[in-house]
This record gives sequence, structure tokens and C-alpha cells, in this order.
Amino acid sequence: MIIVKNLTKVFQQQNGEDLYAVKDLSFTANKGEIVVLLGVNGAGKTTTMRMLSTVLQSTTGTATLEGYDLKKDPQNVRANLGFLSGDTGLYARLTARETITYFARLYDVPEKKINLRINEMADLLDMHDFLDKKIDFLSTGMKQKVSIARSIIHDPPIMIFDEPTAGLDILTAKNIISFIHKCREDGKCVLFSTHIMREAERIADKIIMIHQGKVLAQGSWEDFKTETGLHDLDDIFIHYVNSING
Amino acid sequence: MNFKKIIVIYKKEMLDLIRDRRTIITSFVLPIILYPLLMIGFSSMMSRQEMKLEQQDIVIYVNDQIQNNISKELVGSLSNIETLQIMDEAIVYNEDTYLELLQDHSIQAVINIEDSLSIAGYPIFNITCFYDETSEKSSMTYRKIRDNLNEVEETFISKRLEKININSEILNAVEIRKKNIAPPEQMVGFIVGKFLPYLLIILTISGASVIASDLIAGEKERGTLETILVSAARRNELVIGKYLTIITISIITVLLNLLSMYLSFRHIFMQLGTNMGEFQLPIGNFALILLLMLPLITFFSAILLSISTYSRNIKEAQSYQMPLLFGAIMLSMVSFLPGFELNLGFSLIPIVNFSLMMRDIMLNNYQLNYLFIILGSTLVLDVITVYISIKLFNRENILFRTADEKSLKFWGKSKKDVLNLQFIMVYFVFMIIALYYIGGSWQLKDMMNGMIKTQLLLILLPVLLIMRISKTDIKSNFRFNYTNPLNFLLVLIASLPLLLLAGLLGQLINAVFPVSESYLEAMQNLITIQDSGIWFTIFVVGVLPGICEEVMFRGFVLSALRKKGIWYGIILTAILFGAFHLDPFRFLPVTLLGIWLGFIAVKTNSIYVPILAHFAQNTLAILITNYAEKFSFFKFILRDDEIAYWVIIPAIIILYLVVKGFTILNPIVTKNEENTFIVKIET
Repeated sequence: MIIVKNLTKVFQQQNGEDLYAVKDLSFTANKGEIVVLLGVNGAGKTTTMRMLSTVLQSTTGTATLEGYDLKKDPQNVRANLGFLSGDTGLYARLTARETITYFARLYDVPEKKINLRINEMADLLDMHDFLDKKIDFLSTGMKQKVSIARSIIHDPPIMIFDEPTAGLDILTAKNIISFIHKCREDGKCVLFSTHIMREAERIADKIIMIHQGKVLAQGSWEDFKTETGLHDLDDIFIHYVNSING
Repeated sequence: MNFKKIIVIYKKEMLDLIRDRRTIITSFVLPIILYPLLMIGFSSMMSRQEMKLEQQDIVIYVNDQIQNNISKELVGSLSNIETLQIMDEAIVYNEDTYLELLQDHSIQAVINIEDSLSIAGYPIFNITCFYDETSEKSSMTYRKIRDNLNEVEETFISKRLEKININSEILNAVEIRKKNIAPPEQMVGFIVGKFLPYLLIILTISGASVIASDLIAGEKERGTLETILVSAARRNELVIGKYLTIITISIITVLLNLLSMYLSFRHIFMQLGTNMGEFQLPIGNFALILLLMLPLITFFSAILLSISTYSRNIKEAQSYQMPLLFGAIMLSMVSFLPGFELNLGFSLIPIVNFSLMMRDIMLNNYQLNYLFIILGSTLVLDVITVYISIKLFNRENILFRTADEKSLKFWGKSKKDVLNLQFIMVYFVFMIIALYYIGGSWQLKDMMNGMIKTQLLLILLPVLLIMRISKTDIKSNFRFNYTNPLNFLLVLIASLPLLLLAGLLGQLINAVFPVSESYLEAMQNLITIQDSGIWFTIFVVGVLPGICEEVMFRGFVLSALRKKGIWYGIILTAILFGAFHLDPFRFLPVTLLGIWLGFIAVKTNSIYVPILAHFAQNTLAILITNYAEKFSFFKFILRDDEIAYWVIIPAIIILYLVVKGFTILNPIVTKNEENTFIVKIET
């Protein structure tokens, strides 16, 4: 479960002025729920994700993941978290198995269980053919599967996906979407960011629209429809953007 | 920190690197094949070349101007030299013709036998041998002819002595026999010790730099860093795991290099037929050097790790590594220089200490206490550098630096704002270059005149022009403000204690790094009153720098640098001020004075105060140098031109009181007021 409270991130710009990448963001994401952060490029989605994964530190505000505070206990936050983005790089000279094993050890997965987990993952994602090939020789789709496997090897209760389908072909993207659905079935709390309205519409239990670092609106797809009287998610998004600008 | 995780990271990095062909080639394959190839190629080429040279025909021309029996005997003796041919004599001797032939390398030498003088009835032959020293063949010819003629001379002399019934043995009154007491391995050490430090330092850096740039900057470039940051590994575990990887590969590289070097040396000696039992390579010293290399390797690895962390990609990391490599090369070359001996001061300077120590080890002539100082001081540096790396690794703005951030914008946010760090640094570098070339040549021509020109045209004028062009207000930015006259009094009181403190610091540095007498004399001349008289000297050395240097440093530089914090500004300005004097031995004393000048400038908020202080400082230095003997007070504090060390206590007490006085006279300016007067830019 993720509870975000007044999360704010300020970057110092070259000219000395402050830039609010994320301002006063608050939301909660429950177990077995897919929450989508929806916004255009530069809205603050990646910054939010990076703060939640403790790679960036928030300027003010904080969040708890599975009860662990971002600021007080970043170590445990990371241990309970799986993180996957579209451009998650992999080590080209290692094999798929070596890569996954490496991350398993970093996440303190017991040595005895590692091979078991890898086999489970390979069954699930159909990876047996290329498990012992070097990453360098894999196709994009295979690499994405390896990325998925390494992000979930420690079976974390929370999964964060930062635009995981960006730049992927339709079949690979479908792999990921079905994987996300599986995460929800397994009772994980899933946070997903995208700028594609259709994608949000298809998988979200709850949508958080953000724009210029601030929350425009949050709720389910149905909530938005009734509130605005519109049917198309694009129209709804534009409606909310206009409502704060005008 | 979890040691098990560090090992996991270390193992993975090693596996990753060992699978990298680049690492294998540069770190492992190259050293193994490089030395044998170099040695074998070099030696076989040398011996072949020599052999060829020995067997080549040489042609010389002999111009015998005497043409008697004895001279003919001389010329005839030259035919003892194998492969030598004498050119047919020309009818008319023209020196130029033959010298031209010699220059064309058609012939190898020209011998001119000139008119003989006679002493006591015995002729002396004047033989001139023309040859070309840059041609190996020609100089070899000269040596052969010289040796041959020397032999002939000996037979001549013994013949002459026989005639008058004297045994030629009596000519030997003193016989010099050369006995080199240095054991053979020390001779090897002497030769190898000169270049080995240099070679090893370069090998270490070049080996480690390839890997270091790949380990963090490379991960940033490939986008794998974020993945690893999100994992449950701690930052310091990551840094240390990677650090150990660099160290391991470096050690392997150095080991392979040393081993390969040792083996190929041995091989060459054996081939040359040298008895290895007698001619041992000092292998124990190689082992000691290896031990000494460990801290050096860890030190370089730590620096390279910091560079890699700071850089955005491999290319950037490599460009930051260049200055490190150049600096290390320059410092490591001290082992080539004569007269540099390891002492306490040098044993604290990284690289220089290793270079000198390794040379001493190879000579079997090292002091254990310096060895420990070097190991200890390097370990301290290691810890600091690794700590910096971890700190950098924790800074998100370093880990996620964006591309445009670093583009050098000399003019800051608006074209008119010249008071920013980048502009100041670029300006400073240009000014130092100008000072070195232009100012230096002016002062070489005419000391006093050159100094006036330097101060006015190089230091003051450009600052005023920049402020004018950028339409930046000088009065407010440079603090041309009214101030309490009592401040001037305080500054004057402080000037003597400060001068003495700076002098003491200089003395201390001089004790650690002794400077040559001639250098001290040159410095002394600068503040000794020239023929031009005391008032003129005070004007040139006191008044002008007081105004010009203060406007540049406490006006221009400080007003820009203090935006990042008052003490940051004061100290950085002082460091630049110290560097500006282009003298490593005066750097610290001048920087100390710079800190004081910056402090009073900020405290009183008026540039007139540091101007007076600077003037008083320099003038006082002139007066003390020239008139110290006349005052019993100075006799009291100066002993044999050295300042007595007890002076430090009263000096600090007086300075403390003066600082108190400044605090009372100049109440603290509130933060808001501060900001308005610093950055008041006309638009």
C-alpha cells in the first residue's frame, strides 16, 4: 500500500529560479489496485516515481510504502518495491540468468530460492529458450521480459511501472500489460504512469491526472464521466487542464 | 553496510569486466606481449645495426700538407683500420669541396695534416679531423681514426725516447684505475629506478581509467544505473563494490606489467651472455615496489571513481581524466630530475613521494620512516577520496545531471551579468596567461616600468572596461562606500602582525621545501629599493597594487564569488589571489593575506579599507627589508633575517583585538540590505 502525503519536489534551475516539478501531491494506492498516473510529458510523473523509489529525495512531504517512510527508512522501501521503466538498461555482457541472479542477491533472496524463482519466472514469461544467452544477443521483447523478471524476483508487494510500454511494439507491450494484470491478481499494489489515455482507460482502477506537477483530478473512469458529463478520456483530460488554466 | 552485498556487487562487476574484450586487451594482453616485443625488437635491431655499421665501408679524404716520411707513415697507419678507404688526393685542395662531400655523407671524414711545429727539434703534427656528429657512421669513423692515431703517437714517442736512451715506461707517473664499487644490481637499480616510477604510475592510471569510466559513467550512459539505485543495495555498498573492482584490475595490470618487464629484462641479459648469478636483477626491490604500489593504486582508483561518478557519460569521464593523467605524468617525472631528494615535505606530496621513494628503493638506499609517512598519508587521502565518491553518489543532482546544465555560459543568465562564477574563472585564467606572457616580458625589459604597466593595463583597466561594457555598477558592486575612519586605524594596527604571520608561514614553507639562494635573492631585489628612490618604490610596489589588485580581487572577483556564501567567496577569492602571484612558494602566505583583505572588505563594506591594508602591507615589507637594521625593535624580532617564532603569539592577540574592533565598529548588515547592494545591476 502506498500513502503519499503532500509530496513536493523543487529543482533549482540554471537561472537560480525554483521549478516545482511536483507540488503537493497526495494520493493512496491500495493492495490489489492499479493506480495510473496520467499526464503529458513533463507533468512530473517520472519525478514522482523516482521519489517513491528513493532515487530522488522529496523537498517537502513524504510517502509511506508498506508502512515504511521514504525519508526515514529508504532501505526497507526499496526492499518492498519492484521498479520497471521503458528504458531500464541491462548489462549487455551478462546472461539473462546472471542478471536476474545478481538482482536476487541484492534483494536478499535466499540463495536456495533463487533458482526456483528464476524457473517460476521463466515459466510465466516463457523465457527458457534464452535464459543462458547474453543480453546483448536478445531482442527487445526478450530484454523486456528479463527486465520484468529482475524487477519482481524478490516478489515485492508494490510494483512501480514508469511508462513501461514507451517505445515498445504492440506484442511486447501486451506482455507487460498482462503482467500488470497478473500483479493485481496476486494482490500487489501497482502504480503505473503513462501519457497514453487509452492505456490508462484500459487498465486503471483509479486514475490520477497530473499536470505541471499538480493533481488535476483523481478517481475512477466512471467518476470522471459523471463529473464532467463527457465520454472521451482525451476530452475529459483537456477539460480538467482548461479548468485550472481558465 | 553489508559486506556480503559488496561481494555480490564486486563479483558481478568483475564478471562483467572480464567478459569485456577491451579490458582484456588493455589490461592483460598488452602488458604480456608489449615488453618482450619492445625488448626483443629493440635489442635485435640495435645489434644488427651495430654489426652493419662495423662492416660498412668508410671513405675518408686525407689532405697531407706536409708530405714527408713521417706524415706518410701517419697516413699509412690509417690503412690498419679495416674497411677504410682513402680517397685519391686531388691536385688542388679545396676544403669546401670536401666538406660538402662530408655533408652529403659521400665520405665520412676529412683529415687535414698541417704544418708541423717543432719543439726542441721534434715535430708536432696538427691533425684536424672533420666529421659529422649527427651521422652514426661518421662519428664511428672519427673514433676509429682517433684511436688509431693515438696508437701511432705512442709508437712515435717511444721511438723518440729510445733515441735519447730513455725508457718509455717513465712516462707513466700516475695510473688511474676505475673501480665501480656499486654492485651490479645497484647499477641496474640506478638505471631502472629512473624510469620505473614514471612507467608504473602511467600504467596504473591508464589501466584503471578505462575501467573506472565504464563502471559508473558507463552505467549512466547505458541507463543501468537507475535500476541498481532502485535495488535494495545501499549507495556505499555500490561504491565500495565498484571501488574494489577498479583496484583489483589495476593490481592485476601492474603485476602483469612488472612481471612481464622483469622476465623480458632477464631474457635480454641472458641473451647478451651476462652471467645471471653475478648480475641479479633486484627482485626483492621489485616486491617492495609492488607493496608501495598498493596505496598508490587505491588512491588513483578512488580519484578515478569520483570522476566517473561525477561524469554524465564515458566520454565526459575520459576528458576529466586527462588533466589527472597529465598532472600525474608531470609529478612522476621528478625521478628523472637531479637534485630532488626525498624529504618530509616531498613525502607528503602524492605521486612525487612515490616517484622518489621508488627510485630510492631501486638504489637500495631508502629510509623506512619516509616509507611509513608515504603509506600513511596516502591512506588518509584514500579515505577522503572514497568518502567524496560516496557523497557524490548520494547527490541526486550529480547522478541525474542533464545535458544542458553543464554547457558553459560565460555570460550567465543575462548577457549583462558578468558577476558570476564561470565568467570570473574564465577571466581569471586569461588574466594569468596575460600576466605570465605580457606582464613578464614588460618586467623583464624594465622592472619598475613594467610593474606600473602591468598594474594599470593588465589588472585595473580590463576590469573597468568589463564593468563599463556590461553596464554593471561599479560603485555599489565594488563597495566604493563611505566607512568609519577608525577602520583605517585598525587596518594599520593589524598590518605588522599580519606581515609577520605571513612571513612566518613563508619561513615554515621554506624550511619544508628549501628554495635556492638565487631565488630568494631575486625576491629580495623586488622589495629592495631600486636606484629610483624610496618614494618611487613605494608608489610602484605599495600604492599601485593596493589600488589595482584590490579593485580586481576584492572588487570584481569577490563581488561575484560571494553570492555563494560569504566565506566561500572570501576564501576562493584569496586562493585566486594567491595563484595570481605565480609563485608556488608564496602561494600560502599571499592567500592568507587575501583572506584577511576579503574579510575586512566584507566586514566594513568599503573597498577603501582593503586598499589601505594592501598598501600598508606592501610598504611595510619594503621598509622592513631596507631599514630593519636601523630600528632596535626589528633587531629584536628578526634573528639572522629570520622572524622569531614567539612573534606568533602577540601577533595573533593583536589580530584578535583588531577583529573585535571591526565587529564593534561595523554592526552586521541585515540579509536584505546585503542582497540589494551586491546584485544591483542597471538595466
